[in-house]
Parts: sequence; structure tokens; C-alpha cells
Amino acid sequence: MKKVLATVAIGCAAVVALAGCGGGDHREKNSVEELVSKYGYQWTDPNAPIVNADGARELSFNVYSSKNASALDYNDMKVMEDLFESTNVYVNWENVSETIYKEQKNLIFGNGNKPDAIYHAGMTAGEIIKYASRKVLLPISDYLEYMPNFKQILNDRPDIKKQITNVEDGKIYALPRIEEMGLLQNPNLLFLNKEWTKQAVRANAVSGITEAQIEDGLALTSAQMESILIYFRDHDMNGNGNARDERPMNFVHNNWQGNQCDLYGMFGLNDNLEHRVIKDGKVTYTVTDDAFKEATNYIAKWVSDGLIDSVSFEQSQDNFLANGKGAEIYGAFYWWESETVVSNPDNYIVCEPLVGPNGDQTICVSNNPEVSTGELIVFSGCPNPEVLLTYFDRYYMPEISAQINYGPIGIVYEEEKDENGKLVQKEIPAGTTADELRLQNAPFGICYLSDYAWENVVNMEPRAQLRLERLEKYATPYVPATVTPVPNLQFTQAELNTLNQYENNIDTYIRSNLLKWLTKGGVSESDWTKFKSELASNRVGLNAVQKVYQDAYDRFVAEN
Amino acid sequence: MEKIVQSVAEETAAATERKKSKFANGKFARNFKSNWTYLLFLIPAVVVTFVFAYIPIYGILIAFQDYMPGDSIMGANTIWVGFDNFTRFFNDYMFWSLMGNTFLLCILGFLIGFPLPILVALMLHSTKNKKLSKFLQTVFNGPHFISLVVLVGMLYLFFGRYGLVNNIIDAVGGDRYSFFLESKAFRPLYILSSNWQDFGWSSIIYLAALSGVDPAQHEAATLDGASRFQRILHVDFPAISSIVSIMLIMSIGGLMGVGYEKVLLMQTDGNIDTSEIISTYVYKKGLTGLPDQGYATAVGLFNSVINLALLFIANTISKRFSENSLF
Amino acid sequence: MENVFQENQTAQPVEKAQKPKKRRVKESKGDRVYYIVTYILLGLLAAIVIYPLYFIVIASFSSTDAVLAGKVFLYPVDIDFTGYVKVFRRADIWIGYANTIWYTVAYTALSVVFTLTAAWALSRKTLPLRKFWMFFFTLTMFFGGGLIPFYNVVSSLNMVNTPWAIILPGTVSAWNLFMAKTFFQTGVSDSIIEAAEIDGANRFRLFVSVILPISMPIVAVLTLYYAIGQWNSYFNAMIFLQDEKMFPLQLVLKEILTASETTTGGSGETILEQFRLANQLKYVSVIISSLPVFLLYPFVQKYFAQGVLVGSLKD
Repeated sequence: MKKVLATVAIGCAAVVALAGCGGGDHREKNSVEELVSKYGYQWTDPNAPIVNADGARELSFNVYSSKNASALDYNDMKVMEDLFESTNVYVNWENVSETIYKEQKNLIFGNGNKPDAIYHAGMTAGEIIKYASRKVLLPISDYLEYMPNFKQILNDRPDIKKQITNVEDGKIYALPRIEEMGLLQNPNLLFLNKEWTKQAVRANAVSGITEAQIEDGLALTSAQMESILIYFRDHDMNGNGNARDERPMNFVHNNWQGNQCDLYGMFGLNDNLEHRVIKDGKVTYTVTDDAFKEATNYIAKWVSDGLIDSVSFEQSQDNFLANGKGAEIYGAFYWWESETVVSNPDNYIVCEPLVGPNGDQTICVSNNPEVSTGELIVFSGCPNPEVLLTYFDRYYMPEISAQINYGPIGIVYEEEKDENGKLVQKEIPAGTTADELRLQNAPFGICYLSDYAWENVVNMEPRAQLRLERLEKYATPYVPATVTPVPNLQFTQAELNTLNQYENNIDTYIRSNLLKWLTKGGVSESDWTKFKSELASNRVGLNAVQKVYQDAYDRFVAEN
Repeated sequence: MEKIVQSVAEETAAATERKKSKFANGKFARNFKSNWTYLLFLIPAVVVTFVFAYIPIYGILIAFQDYMPGDSIMGANTIWVGFDNFTRFFNDYMFWSLMGNTFLLCILGFLIGFPLPILVALMLHSTKNKKLSKFLQTVFNGPHFISLVVLVGMLYLFFGRYGLVNNIIDAVGGDRYSFFLESKAFRPLYILSSNWQDFGWSSIIYLAALSGVDPAQHEAATLDGASRFQRILHVDFPAISSIVSIMLIMSIGGLMGVGYEKVLLMQTDGNIDTSEIISTYVYKKGLTGLPDQGYATAVGLFNSVINLALLFIANTISKRFSENSLF
Repeated sequence: MENVFQENQTAQPVEKAQKPKKRRVKESKGDRVYYIVTYILLGLLAAIVIYPLYFIVIASFSSTDAVLAGKVFLYPVDIDFTGYVKVFRRADIWIGYANTIWYTVAYTALSVVFTLTAAWALSRKTLPLRKFWMFFFTLTMFFGGGLIPFYNVVSSLNMVNTPWAIILPGTVSAWNLFMAKTFFQTGVSDSIIEAAEIDGANRFRLFVSVILPISMPIVAVLTLYYAIGQWNSYFNAMIFLQDEKMFPLQLVLKEILTASETTTGGSGETILEQFRLANQLKYVSVIISSLPVFLLYPFVQKYFAQGVLVGSLKD
């Protein structure tokens, strides 16, 4: 056995040695002075080329990137070609599909022939911190001088800077994608079948509302909703002769949108899938609140009474959406928007959040971040990183960000802008949809689209605008000012170890109990006590995790 | 006479000596001389196995490291952590439930999945209508080609709340049952669907073995008055018994090696009590954002050791009770 | 008992009509019971296998929404061939098909040769260091170094992004090897070999001209197991290939089926569209990827019939 091992070890050593000398990068490394003198490198004027024609010929960068299945090869994308025209920086894109990238991601790091950077890197904070400690990643913040646009963003937005700065050494190792539309924080809206509700009102099944009130913005108490749902359950609402195929209330349990969390708002909880929000500056877990027990029991009763369709707890998003088509079977449902769910969205009104038995009226506050922190990384072995970073810095210019995100001028947008100086959507060629066109021609990835961009450069898509209007009327006003989502936080390695040890277990523990309670008639007093004490115990470790989040959050809000 | 005795004694002594040192120029050498050509047959398989299976084994060392892709496994900067990764796993409060779930899922799957293909092969072989038998063999292979995503998708469609099975339950007046939200429904659903998918495929090897049965034996047995069932016991089964024992030993050796893909696809908040197994747990830990190659490797190594132990036990038992063994 | 017999009468009229003359010995009562039970069990198995397969076929040309909403059970609903049309229009699927065929042929040829030769050697009691070799192969069933070292080995052989990365690494499966070895041990009697060796045939000629011809069932099984194993596999391709022109069919299909899970960007509508495509192609994909076995298996069965030879030569 020992001999075998020895042979193996020798064999490996040989292979490893071989791997070490394979490949080899023959590109020249230049100092900034050399770059300036040889290639006319400049980074101050964001509208002029970054390097001259010699630079375009002689400097090149390999960037590895996943791409959407419908997107063109990035080398053939007009956005990229235009960028080369305007910057003279030659980037050779190595595209793989998203599925493949997930598998190959780890292998790239071990490969002798690493690319210079990874776009759509999808790096988690944990990965970044561990790779950074091994000096694999280029500390981008050391090169801010060459990135005027990005530097400006960091100056204007300390909150974003905090989200991406490594707490152990204060450096930034990855460029973010920032798309702030304000759509993600409240991922649910309550939709109600207009015609069915009218029938219920006409039949006097529900008190306190008139037919005329049944339009967008209808405010219902939980008791009224209950009566309406009971009526839906017991009658052949869609008139197909089957009184049992109606599904009074429907959603997709624990889905990122259209989930059960808004129902907890009836009891004053701003729940989300992690059950973690910031309340009065404190990291708070909704599941430790006794209101959570009350709410769970209340909702569980709706489930056992057949008002909430039990299928909500097992169906996937596909099944949910497929069932909305064809014969109408949905009474009320939670979703992002009604248009994708049902064939006849005009028949569904948006309701205000339900008013609970104790008069509470609030909604889910989700932790879906609008800043993706690990979108682009540069390897420390990249030659002439200044040039590459100045190039990527251009992506943060509003007009380029818009094209990165929605598609290029000339294909998706007209060359001419409108009277407000905003990009104008071109007519969509016959046979394609706006979405197909966008997916084909927009690479997505790093960009900065924020209030400034929406006001001055580009219009939001009509559907996004519609949703934003709905949120402003029926969602945002019901979120207390003291409650905010947990932002992207940066952790130390020690903290990450704690999270790694406990978080998965906590999540599993809460999820399995919650599902049991909701589908099996609620939670008893003794089970609730046991649940709370188990959560707090060292075995499940909620307290330890809460402390980690609190510390990280305190650092986040602290002045510098 | 004395001489003869002496020479006999010398010869026996030499024989024992030879036995002791068979690597010297004794039996081994003679055997080697006349049979070394067999080694040539082994070369391609040994080379491929050595290169692609043995050289990468150095990766086992990762189990004792805090490893990130790109780190050198035996270099100056390697971060050694000893048995840390193992103790973390053993001390995890999920450890025993993971072990239990994994073991139950595997052992129950094995108890059904091992005999089923053998029975099916024996039954198919015994049918008189050969065309029907061939048709069924082909049909039984069909499910093997359904990818996991599609298979689990179909399970949700058939066993979902509004799926075929529940519609039947509903039609006969029962209450709809959420198969996917019940811990106790997970194992039957998983095991039966896996067996459904592979029983036909696994029976091929037994059918091949059965094809070697001499029809004359059957005829003789029939003349002796043996019934069809007796002939299965005394003619068919003995003919495949050695392949059955080898398959048994190998299956037991692979008992704990259940992958995460299908379990993960079937896992819901409702059945996680029974569906969280070692491989899914490690997979999810890897997703939490802190990559931990060392931990995953350590758990994998632990699993391998258990499997190897099981294999040795199975092999020893088989050796004792029959002449069939792997080595 | 009476009832059972009646069922027998109705259950197997075909059986009786076809082969009454061949039966040399009259069926005993016990045999009848045996056959009834066997046919009932096989019938049940056939039903639970055939129905889902039938479902796949009808689902492949029903409307996706109808399938997902659980409206398709016995017959197709809202017949819709877009799934097929899309498959036929997608060049990547056909390229994938061609790639898979060539990977499968090359891989199977190498695997079967490597495995048969090694299995033959291992089945000989006189093989020098036999136990060591058995152990050598057994160990690979349990210990692997994990993905990263494996990748590094393949990469250091310069096989990344070449077909070799798919064809070579898995050519010898210990499982199949031991299966074949057991076959040789039980199926080939020593007397044949002794007879041949007296004739003066060398070991290679012996193997090719005497052993192989009487071992066709195991050759067929190995071919089938290796070929279909490769046909269904995508993992090595997923790790080692970057060039989409080299992707095997299963990887192309996996890409389509899982594209919806990983979509970056795109509005809700796009994601839905990709879901729809994935769902539409789900069942079509099963059909196009399972075709080969229905073509291949009859050949394999033919060799099973020849396998009778092994038995008759035995002793």
C-alpha cells in the first residue's frame, strides 16, 4: 500500500510540475509611464479613446464570461464593437453558458492559463474574501485613479462603497452591478378576481364593501377577505359546472416573489424568506416574535379551511403560472404582476395589503439586493490592468450602462435622442419581441443605473414603470420608516465561518417547522416554546448568527 | 533407503521454502514465466486507470486542508488543518440525522433495487412467448433514458396535489394527499421511482447470464418432473449465482454512495426531515457562499471509507459461504 | 383455485394459440399457477412502465400549459408540435447528435477492448499478482481525488477542450470489468483453453478466435452498457469543453432544460419564455435521446440468443 502511495505521489508530482510550465503568457507588462508613452494611455477624458491605434493592435485582454443562452457571442455584439471603436481597448471574450460556468468556475482558478478577468463572475462575499487572502484577485481599489466614473460613484454613494469593501483589508476586489429600480424590495402584490368578487358582493356574502369599490386599491380586512374566499371556495365561480376547481387564494410558498410573506403583514410583521429585517437599526428575526405564532395560526386556518389552496406549498412557479392560463380558476393570488399569471389580467384588481384582526396593515420587506457585489473580478496576474480597468470603468457611464443593460444604440435605441435627451426605443422588427431583442444584444453585467439614469438617460420599460406605480400606491406606503431590508454586508473570515456553521441549519429548521405548521393546522403553545428555545440554543445557533449580522450591520452604518 | 528418505525430506523442506518465498525464483517465477503474457492483456486498462483514477488521488489531501481552487496541494503555502474538516462534520448537530437518512435511503433502495432486476430477468427468461419477452425487455429499458429533471418533473405531475394519483384518490372519495410535503412519502417515492427507472436496465446483465443456460439441462429437469418454478431454483438461478454474488458485493460496496441531484430535486420544506442526506447537505453548505473544498472532500473521504469497509465485509462473507469473491 | 384457472384461460389465449404443438410435456398445475403469477406480475410491471412512457409521448405534443396544469392524462390536449419544430430547427441539437454519435462509437470501441482484455486476464487464476490487480481496480470504485485534481491531470495532458477528455478518462469501469471477469470465469471452461493450448495457439489468438466468439453475450452487454453510459453522460463535457460546437447531445439538452434556472437579466416575460421552451422540450428531449436504445437493443438480444453456445461448450 505504501509503495502504491509513493508511486502515486511521484506520478502526481510529475503531472503537477508539467501543469506548472504549460501555457505561458507572452504579453508584455508595462508600467503606466510606458503605457502612456508607448500607447497614448489616458484615463481622464471619458469620451476619448483610452489607448491609441498601436495600443489597439498590441494590447489585448482575455475576459471569461458566462452568457445568456439567447445572447450573441460577446465578440459579435454591437455594444462591444462600439466600445472597441470608442476606447481602442481590445477584449477577447471567452463565452460559456451559465450552466457550464457554474461547473467550471472553480476549475478556472486552478488552471495555468487563467483569463485576465471574469465577467458575470457571480462571486459571493465569502469567495472574494478567501481568494483575496490568497492574493489571486487584483485589489481594484488600488487603481481607482484610473477609474474616474467608478470613483465618482463611490464618492457619491458611500452605502455602495460599504457593500463592496472587504472588511479585513479595506480594499475592493470586485466590481458591482447596480440597477436601482426600486422593484425588488416588495416582491408581492395581492391580486383579486374582480368579477368573482362582484358576485360575492351581490350575493351579500361579504359585508362592508359595495360593487363600485371593487377596483385597484381595494382595501380589505382579513375578515372580509375570508368571507370572499369562502364564497369563492363554495361556488362554481367560473361557471364550468364544477364547483371544486376554483382555487380561492394561491401563491408559491417560499418563492422569491409571490410568496406567503405578505400574509404575515396582517400581524404587523415585515417578513421575508430569511425572516430577517433591520428594525430600528437592529437585526431582527420575525420568527422570534410571538406575533409570528399568531399569524401562522391564522394563516394555517385559512389553509385547513381550503381558502388557501394547499398546492401553494408544493407547486413550482411553472405550475402556478400554467394554471393561470385557460379557464379562470384563481380567486386571489400574490405575484409580482398579474400580466404573466392569468390570461385575462384586466379582470384582476390590485388590493392594498390586508388589514389584520388587530388592525395591522403592512407587507413583506425582502432582502433581494439591487446591488450585485461580485459581478467582475480581475486576476492579479493580468498584465496592464490599468487599461482594462479604465475600459470597464466606461461601463459605469450612464449611456453605456443603459446599452449594456438594454441593448445598443442602432439596434434597440434610435441614434437620435428625444427632447429630454433620453434614449428612444426603436421599433421592434417584426417576428421578434422586445425581450428577445434585448437578450440577444445586451450583455448585462456591470452597470450603474440609478435615479440619475432614469431621469436623464433612459426610460424604464413600460412593464417596470407599471409595477413601480403600483408599488408606490399599494405597497411602499405600508412599510414603516423604521424597517429596512438587510443590505449586502461584508463579513470577516471568522464571521463567515460562523455563518457557514449555522446558517444552513437555521434555515432548514425554520423552513421545515413553518411548513408543518402552515399545512397542518397551526402551532401549539408548547411547540412554539420549544421552537424558540431550540432556535436560541447553541445547536441551531440563531443568536450567534444574529450577532454576526448585527456586527456587520453596525460596521455598515458606522461613519467610515 | 535412507537416501530416499533424506531426499524426500529435503524436497518437502524445499517445498515449504518455496512457498515462503514465492517471490524468489520459485513458484511465482515459474508461473510468471509461463503466464506473463496475461499481463499484456492488462496494460491498456491499467494505464488508463492509473492516469485517470490513481494520479488524481493526491486530491485526498485536500480533506486535511483549508483549500481554495488554485492553491497548491503540496506546496509551501498550503494551509494544513489536520482533522478539522472531519471533526466539524462529526460535531455538526445534523450529523446523526444525516447518517440515518442516508443509510435508510440506501439500504431500503438496495433491498428493493437489488433483487428486483434478478426476479424480472428470471421471469422474462421463463416466459414461453419469446416475442413478448423481447418486447418487454425493450420496453423496460425505456425509463433508463429519462433524465432526472424530466423524471422528477413527471413525479410532481403524477403525485402532485392535482396530479393523476390524487385525481384518482379524489374520484374514489379519498382526500387529496400532498406526497411532496410529507416526510414519510419521500423514501417510497424516491426509491420506487429509481427502481422504476432502472430495474429493466439492470436486468440486462442477468438476462445475458441466463442466455448461457444449456437448454438440455431444462429438458432433463423437465423429464425428471421438475416444475417450472423448481427449474428456476435449480437450473436458472445456479447459472447466474456467481454474477449475482459479484453484483451483490459491488452493490453493498457502493451502498452509501447516493448522489445529491435527484434528492435535491425532490426535496421540499415538507420532507426535509427524511430527505436531507449527506450529499445534499454538503452540496448546500457549498452554496452558502463560503467555498469549502476541504470540508466536502473530507466528507467524501469519510463516505469512501465506509463503503470500502462495507465492501470488505461483504467480500469476506461471500468468500466464506460461497466460492465467489472479488479478491 | 377455480377462479385462478379461469383467469388463466382469459389471460393467455394468444399464448395457447401460438405454441400448443411445441409443448412436449403437459403443463402441470403448479406450472400453470407459476405462469399465471408471472404473467400478472409482468403485466403490472409493463403497465407501470408503459403508461409513463406513453405519457411522455402525448405530452411531447400537447400544449405546455396543459401539461403543467395537469390536464394531460390519457390523450394529448391542445395538440402543439412546436416542441418538435423547435428541436428540428435548432442546429445545436443536430450538431450535438452528431458529436454524441462519434464520442459514443470511439469511447465504446476503446472501452470494450480495454475491459474485455483486462477482464480476461483477471479471470485467469494463473495471472501473476492477480490479487494485487483486483485490488488495484477495486480501489478506484471508492477513492477519487475529487474534481480539481482530475481536471488538472486532464489539463496537463493537454486534453481540455478536446474530444479526448470525454472519450478517454472513463474507458475502464471497475464495475463492468468485474462483471466481465465473472462471466469469463463461469462461462468459459478450462477444458477449452487447455484444448486450445495443446493445439499450440498463442494467448492472443486463443482470445480472439476462441474466447471472444463464445462470449458474445458479455460483449453485447458491455457494448450496450458503455455505449448508453456515454450516450447519457454530460458531466465530463460540461467540465472540459468550452467550444459549443463540440457539445454532446445531452449537454445541449441540459443547457436548454436548465437555462431557465440561471437566466441573468431578462424581464419576467423572458424568463417565462425560457421556462416555456424548457418545458416544451422536456418530453421531446426524452424521445430524441432514447431512440438509440430502441435501435440498439434488438441487436444485443440477438447475441443473447447466441450465448447459448457458451453453455453448450461448457464441459
